[in-house]
Amino acid sequence: MVLIRVPRPSKKKAMNLDRPVSSLLLTQVRHLQHAERRLPLRYRTEIYTHAIRTEGQAAQYIREVTEAIHKAHEDAVALRTKLARKRKSGLAIAATTERPARKRPAKAKATPKKKKR
Amino acid sequence: MPTGLDNLKHIVVLMMENRSFDHMLGSLAAADPRIDGVTSQLSNPDTTGAAVKAQPLAEFQGQLNPDPDHHFPAVDLQIFGGDTSSNRAPNMQGFVKSYFNQRRDVNHSQKIMYYFRQDDLPVLTTLALEFAVFNRWFASIPGPTICNRAFAHYGTSFGRVDMNPFDIIEPFKSIYTRLVNATPKHTAKVYYYDTTSSTMEVVNLLQNQPELFGTYKQFLKDCDKGILPEYSFVEPNYNDHETDSGEEIANDQHPDHDVQAGELLIAEVYMRIKRNPQLWASTALLVVYDEHGGIYDHVVPPSCVPDKFSASASSTGTGMEFKFDRLGVRVPAILISPWIPKGTVENRVFDHASIPATITKFFLGDDPQRSPRELNADVFIEPKGAPVDPKRNLLSLDVMRKDCPEFDV
Repeated sequence: MVLIRVPRPSKKKAMNLDRPVSSLLLTQVRHLQHAERRLPLRYRTEIYTHAIRTEGQAAQYIREVTEAIHKAHEDAVALRTKLARKRKSGLAIAATTERPARKRPAKAKATPKKKKR
Repeated sequence: MPTGLDNLKHIVVLMMENRSFDHMLGSLAAADPRIDGVTSQLSNPDTTGAAVKAQPLAEFQGQLNPDPDHHFPAVDLQIFGGDTSSNRAPNMQGFVKSYFNQRRDVNHSQKIMYYFRQDDLPVLTTLALEFAVFNRWFASIPGPTICNRAFAHYGTSFGRVDMNPFDIIEPFKSIYTRLVNATPKHTAKVYYYDTTSSTMEVVNLLQNQPELFGTYKQFLKDCDKGILPEYSFVEPNYNDHETDSGEEIANDQHPDHDVQAGELLIAEVYMRIKRNPQLWASTALLVVYDEHGGIYDHVVPPSCVPDKFSASASSTGTGMEFKFDRLGVRVPAILISPWIPKGTVENRVFDHASIPATITKFFLGDDPQRSPRELNADVFIEPKGAPVDPKRNLLSLDVMRKDCPEFDV
């Protein structure tokens, strides 16, 4: 079996947060902005995308909106689960309230006993 | 059923960015003449009319700046050499002219013809020589990233040839939706690098189905635990950024990002699968590039069956309607599995629609609700259950290879 050495790029040389943002990253920013507009207000960033000039700035926006999309979905799922639980317990309450309703005639039957006194 | 196909449980696609076949693998023609790479005869005219030869002078970073134009009109110029007549023929003679348009510098425009030497790219070239390299894998559209990646996810770009957000048009569905909604249910995941790199499939997949996504770290863990989904689509890191654990440099190989960083990523994905013996025996990994990024390739993209959609003359930017009846420029593509004989060179025609076509046929059998382009795309892994033609089956070995290379990652 042959072991092949993979040359490592120099991070110091390759890394450039100030590199002018590419058209691909600007496209990704545009797509995320499209998605961000559909998020409830509380999840939206305050980043002005037209002012994004560098790769580092684009990266920050991409992270914030990606996380916001995940958070919004997670919160929506959690809320749905909570509501479903409430509905379930609501049904249970409704079910318990139904039982005394069925007992009422029994109570009504008890009143004549009082009259007997 | 051949043993390799019988064992196959996972298909992983790693889609890199914007490099042509000749640029990355063209040097391999010298190592194996069956590989349709660069020869000394290949050239393009520059704007002075002088012939510029393809030369092994590509650099890892800093050379292709500005990013070579690869939008539809520019690729049209690259493929047709500037001929806009009705009876024109593709000749791959417009790459230097196209790059000149961006900086108006004749010397700089010649760099679009540069390619890497075999030794420059030890990972990609080794994998190409060791497993199956595709001589005829083309981008799906002579255009940019988003619409080409759409073909990998949906088997169509819904009529788009540009980078704008698009909507899914029924009845077509993403390959992920097809898998997870199937009965019995199948598993699929898109692994983006991290949330700061995110995905190029924002508007439909991330926005509506974020549960489909995982991070690259999770991919590595899933490899170690042997719990990869049946289908995994891995996206590289698209930007330089800082994280809590340090600096991450872009490894998508998109110009002007460092090509060596991408080499490292490809090696890491390969080795992570290989280090888990059960996963290695049951996985096929496709390494492919979304499009050529405006960089020279000599093979004329063939015509193909038109899609259901077309792009109007105004949306192509060429003054001509496009019926999705021609493929884009050729890109590097390598299929990796220990069941593939060393030195396999495949000459059939593929494009990114072959990805959902293969996944659908392999895991689901069939789905008639697919685009005409996908229905006509060839598959790179033969479907289960059907009689297998040995000439088409790339995972053809009866016994798993033990001589596969390893990388020090």
